[in-house]
Amino acid sequence: MARDPKYDILFEPIQLGPKTLKNRFYQVPHCIGAGSEKPGFQAYHRGMKAEGGWGALCTEYCSIHPESDDTHRVSARIWDDDDVRNLAVMCDRLHEFDALAGIELWYGGPHAPCMESRHNPRGPSQIPSDFEVNTHPRYMDRDDVKLVQKMYVDAAVRAREAGFDIVYVYGAHSYLPLQFLSPFYNKRTDEYGGSFENRARFWKECLEQVREAVGDDCAIASRFAVDTLYGPSAIEIGEDGVRFVEYVDDLVDLWDLTVGDIAEWGQNAGPSRFFEENHEKPYTGQVKAGDHTNKPVVGVGRITNPDTMVAIISSGQFDIIGAARPSISDPFLPKKIEEGHPEDIRECIGCNQCISRWEIGGPPMICTQNATAGEEYRRGWHPEKFHPAGNRDKGVLVVGAGPAGMECAMVLGKRDMSAVHVVEADKEIGGCVNWISQLGHSDGQENLARGTARGLGEWKRIVNYRQIQLDKLKNVDVHLNSRLSTQDVLEYGAEIVIIATGGHFATNGLNPATHDVIEGADTSLDWQLTPDEVVRGGKQIGDRVLVLENEGYYMGVSIAQKLAGEGKDVTLVTQMGDVANYMEFTLEAPMLHRDLHRLGVKIHPYTMLEKIEPGACHAYNVWNPAHKEQFEVDTVVLCTQRLSNDELYHELRADKEALEREGIEAVYMIGDASAPRMIPDAIFDGHRLAREIDSPNPAMPLPFIRERRLWGNVSNEDYDSRLLNTPDVTMAGVAK
Amino acid sequence: MKIVVPVKEVAVLDEEFELLEDRPGVDPDAIDWELNEWDDFSLETALQLREAQGEGEVVVVSVGDEEAEEGLRACLAKGADRALRVWDDALEGADPLTVARVLAAVVERESPDLVLCGVQSSDAVQGATGVALAAHLGLPRVAVVKALDYDAGSGSATVERELEGGLTELLRVRLPALLTIQTGINEPRYANLRAIKQAKEKPLELLELGEVGLDEAALEAAAGSRTRSVAPPEAGGGAEMLGGSASDVAERIAGIVKERMAG
Repeated sequence: MARDPKYDILFEPIQLGPKTLKNRFYQVPHCIGAGSEKPGFQAYHRGMKAEGGWGALCTEYCSIHPESDDTHRVSARIWDDDDVRNLAVMCDRLHEFDALAGIELWYGGPHAPCMESRHNPRGPSQIPSDFEVNTHPRYMDRDDVKLVQKMYVDAAVRAREAGFDIVYVYGAHSYLPLQFLSPFYNKRTDEYGGSFENRARFWKECLEQVREAVGDDCAIASRFAVDTLYGPSAIEIGEDGVRFVEYVDDLVDLWDLTVGDIAEWGQNAGPSRFFEENHEKPYTGQVKAGDHTNKPVVGVGRITNPDTMVAIISSGQFDIIGAARPSISDPFLPKKIEEGHPEDIRECIGCNQCISRWEIGGPPMICTQNATAGEEYRRGWHPEKFHPAGNRDKGVLVVGAGPAGMECAMVLGKRDMSAVHVVEADKEIGGCVNWISQLGHSDGQENLARGTARGLGEWKRIVNYRQIQLDKLKNVDVHLNSRLSTQDVLEYGAEIVIIATGGHFATNGLNPATHDVIEGADTSLDWQLTPDEVVRGGKQIGDRVLVLENEGYYMGVSIAQKLAGEGKDVTLVTQMGDVANYMEFTLEAPMLHRDLHRLGVKIHPYTMLEKIEPGACHAYNVWNPAHKEQFEVDTVVLCTQRLSNDELYHELRADKEALEREGIEAVYMIGDASAPRMIPDAIFDGHRLAREIDSPNPAMPLPFIRERRLWGNVSNEDYDSRLLNTPDVTMAGVAK
Repeated sequence: MKIVVPVKEVAVLDEEFELLEDRPGVDPDAIDWELNEWDDFSLETALQLREAQGEGEVVVVSVGDEEAEEGLRACLAKGADRALRVWDDALEGADPLTVARVLAAVVERESPDLVLCGVQSSDAVQGATGVALAAHLGLPRVAVVKALDYDAGSGSATVERELEGGLTELLRVRLPALLTIQTGINEPRYANLRAIKQAKEKPLELLELGEVGLDEAALEAAAGSRTRSVAPPEAGGGAEMLGGSASDVAERIAGIVKERMAG
């Protein structure tokens, strides 16, 4: 089908200095965990998006010198010719699809802890990083300024050699150029501090020198936070924000605009529970609206809707649609619009699981919606192409249509299995997502910063996408309102049975802190609840509620938010040092804490319950169990741990004779039914099994390519040959 | 107890489709075929009656080309005992009265205790076939049945009809009879993979017109109407298409409403 003409504007080329961007889809720099040291990952991840129609793809932040080393986190690096060699693989891959390759040259100043290089970063003033531990920069004198500017130029020249088309001088998120510009970082009194012109001088000179060095061959871009959201002590849009754009406008070919700084960059990579699509418009939208630039502008805001994209361009907000997360969630977003089937777009849900892995430092990026993200090279997975399964004649029964079951059935359908039946006990598909997506609201009031507690409604996109796909697959039948017994499964007539029956919360207080149940914990009582019972309703909830949060992710705090928003007096107890630790990694924590604080939720860290009685919970301090505390409450919500719904699996496996008699050749278990886990991991599990359903032993994942150094004489074949299954991404065309 | 259930494979159109140029109709490339939703409920009613009696036979019948076989196989998989398909090229584009005439000939051959039709088909939505079939057969008929209680002793059924305004009409009907069944009367079952496989072995018989004592002349005599053309409606005036983002559209709608209310 041809694309709808209303989207034509998204496919108009635009000039970026010496380069032409073929359309308006631009993957802004974002981390994936590849850097320069996993060149296959880097090239194939970005390359997949190029195949999917994105006009330009950038590296993540790319360090220009060992003294800007972000280890433990993974950045790209262009320190020497060997880095050039590895990054060139990405450039070559992108050029095969007529996409432009961008590189984000980065010097972190105090925010670069240099844990691998053991250098010392330099900075405009000697103030340590506001989020690293004890990283003091060395004060830059005039010679240091020149030295670091030379590092930018050398890196830019190497970038050109690698084949990059767009070279960034990266300041946004408060790295060195912006540190000079912002009085929050810059306390200097020389010609690089004080007045606006002085503070802008370092960045301006960098741009001039990089432009002089490579500007004839490469487009020069700058990423700039037009407002760091710190008020007058830093960059504000109406002040230095637009002033700086005007001041150096002649030196750039492209503006890449953001808001916020690195210490709370969830204001930029806004999670859906606090920020809606295109949420940066009030800031970044002012630059073109106020006529402050003559250059193309790219901006972001988790934009997944093609109609929003058209509105953004036609209203003059931006010239180019930038995306990090939407491009991870759907590498083929542009192609789906171009080919006239935008309903197939796998929309980002804004959970920030992708970001969490970079924040943790080290692991490859993952995506809740797109299980193939990060697996393009090492597992050879393609998000849109699927090989017909070698055992496609087998009938498959998937029991349960939660995240794992839906994904598994969808991939099996796309792999052309002859018959896939998904049988779900509930009245709709989606499993736990159906109630989890109702969490996270509070009272709808403004938070203390930008954004409000919007809840997890966008997480329902997990179900929406799969519902649309399953509806289209003629070989997949979904049957609802049907709970299968062991006998039903045995007699179903399937050769392959996949158990995806999910999990449930412990009802007796069993927990990871004590590895034991809690005395008096029993959610069969009408005043004790599991989290899902809070959402589903049916039990009266008293005015004083205690939520026991032993999980460390969103569940306990979301329940607290919901109940406090309804006017309850909520006490949140956790054995850990803070509630919802993982939400630091997803960048949800700062806004969450503002909301909990505003709602008056009382948080008790390092605290665990030993006994629950009607009207009272008995607690102790985990470092000094003799220190007791008592909470007088009416209702208790136990968010301690989950357990698998695995009875069906074990009953089936226990009777091998019955399986044989009924013609069942294999029984597998996926997702929470196998072991409770985060939603992206459950989806991955379902996807993985379906991708490998015709492997010699589908229960065991096949090996993947590990891009580590092999000792001695090696070739690329030594890596690629590790991929034993038939990859969906052709390995042809890589620079060997 | 023998029950005949006439079923129909209905057309589901893609979002975008073309009309045929040489004859009235839609380009088949843009059509998916599936069993009529109402027929799921009439079949389920028949299966439940048979199960309640502990004996009997459920025969599904369809007037249709090869596309109809998939729907009949699905009925067999759910539990129908036999399937009959009647087809002749002369039936292409047949109207409900013609289809009813053909079905009547089949039902007469089977002489069942009960005929259960769907209230209507989701593609043509004429609601005529069941009624016309009852007329051909001279059977008592009750339309839009939403509940059914069969009493084997008296050979009669107590049925509830759905009327406008939320009213329910309660009737007793002596068998043999024809009922048209409304959606929601029950929860139709689905077939598991084993039943689907086993349905391939169940009898599905193709009948030609002559085998049911009909010919083309009989079809022509039965026909009540003929489709002369199919065309999209003329584009109307006065509609304003609103474009842009959701908030742009919402703003414009709010503007229009305010404007009209002020006027």
